[in-house]
Amino acid sequence: MADADNDAAPTVQEPLDLVRLSLDEIVFVKLRGDRELKGRLHAYDSHCNLVLGDVEETIYTYDEDEEEEQQDVRIMKKQSEMLFVRGDSVVLISPQPSS
Amino acid sequence: MENGAADAKDPSGFLSEILGAPVTVKLNSGVVYKGELQSVDGYMNIALEDTKEYVDGKLRRNYGDAFVRGNNGNIPISSSL
Amino acid sequence: MLFFSFFKTLVDHEVTVELKNDISIRGTLKSVDQFLNIKLDNINVVEEMKYPHLSSVKNVFIRGSVVRYVHLPSGAVDTALLEDATRREATQASARAKQG
Repeated sequence: MADADNDAAPTVQEPLDLVRLSLDEIVFVKLRGDRELKGRLHAYDSHCNLVLGDVEETIYTYDEDEEEEQQDVRIMKKQSEMLFVRGDSVVLISPQPSS
Repeated sequence: MENGAADAKDPSGFLSEILGAPVTVKLNSGVVYKGELQSVDGYMNIALEDTKEYVDGKLRRNYGDAFVRGNNGNIPISSSL
Repeated sequence: MLFFSFFKTLVDHEVTVELKNDISIRGTLKSVDQFLNIKLDNINVVEEMKYPHLSSVKNVFIRGSVVRYVHLPSGAVDTALLEDATRREATQASARAKQG
């Protein structure tokens, strides 16, 4: 494909380029409602709708103790083989160093 | 209107002038991100480099690169000024 | 348009739709529109004891905006094809953005 307006090497010109460069890579996604996902990015669009494969979801629940000052954090993990994520829940996407 | 047309310093215009600068981005949720501003778009999506995430003022996490979605009520603040 | 087209390829597959109010509904994907509204047939509510009010319902229409996740059968997804389609759409979207 002749890409006339891609004069430079693929760099981050707009924020979504960062997401584009993460296609087929592992990404970390932070969502509303104290949820996080880690999985392989297979699709995204400008709304931040996503499809992730081999996903681990982490849900943080805060049991606020009325009497005690400190609140307990409960961590729940869930697995999903293929997951569509609606973009309006997405807060942050970060490419993960493949380790 | 005439004021707006003459004023080149619309918010995203300002943001594109400080690309590369260290910035602080605060979300509606109170979470704060500090990093180097890589890029911004019309939705106020933001790409940051070398990002630190602070919750309740405490450092929670580090990200090499981070895409922060606009429409999360994010308030970008340039800390270089 | 990418995800609209993608979901059309999943019609007649079993999916689980997780809503933003934490209810999960499993059923056969029957149709989808451009807003990613979803019609499911033969539904079952996961954790039915917790949400008994849907136990007599067979088919549902779900407004796209209340969806958090859709769990998909990975066998029904061609990931290489999907990534190519994503790159094409991204190129078009950024070209549109440049034109203003």
